[in-house]
Amino acid sequence: MSGREAAATAVQLVGGLALAPFLPGLVQHWKARLQGRRGPTPLQPYRELRRLWRKSSVDVEGAGIVYRLAPALTAGSVAVAVLLVPVAAGSPDLGVGRDALVLAGLLALARFAVAAASWEVANGFALMGASRDLTIAVFVEAALVLALAVAALVSGSTDLVAMVAGTSGTQAWTDPALALGAVAFALVVVAETGRQPVDNPDTHLELTMIHEGPLLEYAGRDLALLHWAAAVRHWLVLVLAAQVFLPHPTDPWVQLALLPVVLAVLCAGLALTETLVAKMRILLAPRLLAVAALVALLGVVAWLVETG
Amino acid sequence: MSFAVVVSLGAAAVAAGGLLAVARRSFTLGLTTQGMGCALLAGGGLWALVTDEAAGASFTSAFDPRVGIDGLSGLFLGVLGAVGAAALVFATRYLQPSGRGRAIGALTAVFVLVQALVLVARDPLTFLVAWEAMTLVPAAVILVARADELARRTVFFYVALTHLAGAGTWVAILLLAREGAIGDPSVIASGSGVQIAIALAALVGMGAKAGLMPLHVWLPLAHPIAPAHVSALMSGVMIKIAIYGLIRVLVEWLGVLPEWLGVLVLGLGALSSVAGVVYALFQHELKRLLAFHSIENIGIIVLGLGACLVLRARGADAWAAFALAAALLHTVNHALFKALLFLGAGSFEKAVGSLELDRLGGLIRRMPWTGGAFLVGAVAIAGLPPLNGFASEWTTLQSLLRLPAYGGVADGTAGALALAALAATAALAALCFVKVVGLVLLGPARRDAVAHAQEAPVPMRAGIVALAGACVLLGVAPGLLFGSLVGLAPWASAVPTSIGLDLPGTGLFRSGGIALVLVALVAALYVLRGRRVAAPAPTWACGQLVERRLDWTSAGFTKALRLVLEDVLRPEREIDVRVEGGVVQEVAYEGRVPHLFEERLYRPLTALAMEGAHHARRMQSGRLGTYVGYLLALVLVVLTAAKLGVLG
Repeated sequence: MSGREAAATAVQLVGGLALAPFLPGLVQHWKARLQGRRGPTPLQPYRELRRLWRKSSVDVEGAGIVYRLAPALTAGSVAVAVLLVPVAAGSPDLGVGRDALVLAGLLALARFAVAAASWEVANGFALMGASRDLTIAVFVEAALVLALAVAALVSGSTDLVAMVAGTSGTQAWTDPALALGAVAFALVVVAETGRQPVDNPDTHLELTMIHEGPLLEYAGRDLALLHWAAAVRHWLVLVLAAQVFLPHPTDPWVQLALLPVVLAVLCAGLALTETLVAKMRILLAPRLLAVAALVALLGVVAWLVETG
Repeated sequence: MSFAVVVSLGAAAVAAGGLLAVARRSFTLGLTTQGMGCALLAGGGLWALVTDEAAGASFTSAFDPRVGIDGLSGLFLGVLGAVGAAALVFATRYLQPSGRGRAIGALTAVFVLVQALVLVARDPLTFLVAWEAMTLVPAAVILVARADELARRTVFFYVALTHLAGAGTWVAILLLAREGAIGDPSVIASGSGVQIAIALAALVGMGAKAGLMPLHVWLPLAHPIAPAHVSALMSGVMIKIAIYGLIRVLVEWLGVLPEWLGVLVLGLGALSSVAGVVYALFQHELKRLLAFHSIENIGIIVLGLGACLVLRARGADAWAAFALAAALLHTVNHALFKALLFLGAGSFEKAVGSLELDRLGGLIRRMPWTGGAFLVGAVAIAGLPPLNGFASEWTTLQSLLRLPAYGGVADGTAGALALAALAATAALAALCFVKVVGLVLLGPARRDAVAHAQEAPVPMRAGIVALAGACVLLGVAPGLLFGSLVGLAPWASAVPTSIGLDLPGTGLFRSGGIALVLVALVAALYVLRGRRVAAPAPTWACGQLVERRLDWTSAGFTKALRLVLEDVLRPEREIDVRVEGGVVQEVAYEGRVPHLFEERLYRPLTALAMEGAHHARRMQSGRLGTYVGYLLALVLVVLTAAKLGVLG
C-alpha cells in the first residue's frame, strides 16, 4: 500500500467511524449561532454518546431479537458503508468493493432494521415515523440512484473511486448533466440526514417527526448506536457530495487536504437551510424528492444529448 | 452416467411417487419419492447448466415429438427441482392422506412432470401440449382442493384469461415452426414483419402466463387459493417457465430484435414491477399480497430481459449477456424466496387459520423456525444485502444503467426511467415487507389462536429452512451461479469468476466480503451492547397508554403512501357516523384501494364483450331456413371475392 493509499484509508476510517458525530454537532452549533443563540459546542454529540453509553438499556416487555438486534444492524450496515465510500481518488478497496449502488442497498438495510423494530414495541409514534420514513424513502432511493447514475455516466463506471476521479476539476460547474445531478443529490442529502425541510431533528412532535419516532423506545447503548448511525449517514452523503458532485481537485493529496474544509462548508450550508427554510408538510416531502428524481433524470437526458 | 440419465431417473421417480401417493398406505412414501425425484431433477439440471452441454435431441420445427436438454433447460429444471423438492417435503405433513389430499398429492406429480416436459420439449407439438397441460393441471388442483363457488369462479377466470391470451403462444410457436426457425436464429431476418409478429404474439401469450401487466389479473386470484405447496410451485416455478419461453423466443430464436421492441419489453417490466408492488402494499391477506409480489418480481425479471434486448440491438453484447444473466439470476432468486414465503404462509395458515394480516402477530416467538426462515425470505424479497434478492437487483440495476451508456437519447431515457422504477420498486418492497414482518412475526399476538400457535412439524420446517439456506448462500456467493448464467447467452460471453459479482465498469459487488464484515460488526456491536438491562419495562409510548384496540393495522402503516399516491390509486372510503341526541353512537368506516386494472380495463372490456354477444344472439334464430340463408350468403361472398381476385 502506497503512502497515498494509506493516508486515504486512514482518513476514510477515522473520519467515517470516529469524526462523523462532529458533523451534526457542527450543524447544530452553527444553526444556534445563526439563530442568535449561543448553542451547544460542536462536540455535544460526543458528550451525548458518552452519557448514553454509560446508561443501561431498556428491553421493552415482549420485544424479541429483532428489537434488540436492530441498533447493532443499523450501526453495522452504515459502518460497512463507510468502508465502501472513498474519500479520495486513490482509496484502495477495503474488501467490500466500492460500488455506488451497493451503498443504496446498505442504507436501505439500515432503514429496514429500525422500521421492523418499531413493530416489535407496538408504539404508535414509532410506527408513524417508520411508515413516513419508508414512504419518503421510495422517492429518495429513486433520486439517489438516478443522481448516482449521472455521475456514473460521466465517469464511465459505478466504481466510486472512478467517480471521484472522473468528476474531478470544475466539471460540476461546466457540465449541465453533473450540475443537475448535484441539485438532485443535494435534496437526497437533506432527506438522508433527516434535516429541514424534510424532517426536523430538533423536535419530537408527533405531527412532524420522522426519524426520531422509531428511536423513542430505545435507551442507553442502543440509542447511542442509533445516534451514531445517524451521524455516519451525514458523513457518507456529505463526503459523496464533496468528492463527486461538487468541484474538487484532481490530485488525491489535495482532495484529502481540502475535504475537511468542504465538509465544514457543507455543514454550514445545512445550518443555513435549516434556519431559512421551514419544515414542510410531511406529505409534500415525497413530492419534493420526486422533483429531485426528475431533475436527476433531466441530468441523464442532458448527458445523452451532450454525448449523443 | 450423464445428466440426461439423472434427469430421466428424476422424472421416473416423480411419476412413481405420484402413483404411490394415490394409495393411503404409501401416501407419505409417495410424496417423499416425488421429493427425491425433484432433487434428482435439480441435480441433473444444474449439472447440465454447469457443463453447458446439450444431450438428447436438438430443436426442430417439425411436428415430431422429441426431448432433449441444454444449459437453459438445465437451469430451469434446477429451479423446478429445487422448489419442488422443498415443496414436496413440506407437503408430506401439509397434506392429509384423505381422498382429497391423495388426489392433490398425485396431481402435484403431474404438475411437476408437465413443467419438466415444457423445459425438455424440443419440437412445437410437445411444447404446446405440455404448455397447455401446465395451465390446466393447477386448475384441477384448485378444484380438487376446494369446491366452493369462489374457487370455481376463479378457476374459470384463470383458464379463460390464460387461454384467450395464451393464443399468443400458439401463434408465436406455430409461426416459428412454419418459418423453420425453432432453434435456428439465422432464418428470420432482423426487422422483418414476421419477426415482429412472432415477438408480439409471444409477449402476449407468454406474458399473460408469466403474470405480466396488464394481463396479470388471473394471478392474484388463482395463486392464493391453491394449496400452499402448489402455490409455491405456481409462483415459484410455473410463471418462470413462461419466462423460459420468452427467452427462447425473444433472445434465442428471433436473432436481433429492433430496439423499440426492447423498449416495449422494458416498459412492460417497469409497469409490472411498480404497479405490482404498489397493489401488493394495499392487500390485507398474506397469500394475496404474496401473489401481487410475484407480478412485481416478474416485472424485475422482464426489466433485465428488456435491457438485454436493447443492449443486443445496440451491439453491446457483453452487457446484453450480463442483463440476461441478471434476469435469470432473479428468476432463480425469486423462485427460492417466493416458494419459501408461500410455504411459510401455508404453515401459518395451518397453525392459526385465517391469514388476515391485521389478526396475526408475534408468530416468530411461537414458531421460531418457520418464523425465522420467513424473516429471511422477507429480507431477501425486499432486495436488501446481504441476501440473494439484492444480488440480482444490483445486477439488473447495473444492466439498466448501461442503456444510457450504450444507447441513443430515446432508449437511454427509457433506461433511466426503468432504473428509477426499479429503485422505487425496491424501496416499496421494503415498505411492504416491513409491514408483513411486523404484522405477522413481530409484536403482540392479535387473537387467541395466534397466541397459542404451535410450531410446524419437522418436515414442513425442513422444506422452508432449506430454502432460506439457499437464499443466504446465493446472497453471499451469487458468483457461484452467475458465471454459468452469463455463459447461457446464445452469443459468446464470459465474466471473471469470483464468489461476488465482478462486472467490468462497476465498483465490484463483493458480496462475500460485505456479508462477512457485516456479520462480524453486528455481532461485535451486539456483544458490546451488553446485557445491562435496567429492568424490563412496558412500552413507553411517550407516557401514553398503549391500548390493544388501537394497534396499528396494515391500512394504517401504508396510509402515508396511499395519501401520496392518491391521484393515481383513487382509494375509496366511506365513513358512516350515526348521531342520536347530539351524541355520536356509532362510526362505521370502510376503505379500500380498488384494483384499477380490473375496474378501468377489464370491466369495460367484459361489458363490451357481453354487449357484442347480446347482438350476436339475434342471428341465432333457431330456424333452419335462416341458417341455410347464412350459408348461401357466405358462398356468394366467397364466389364474388374469388371472381374479383381478392383471394389471390
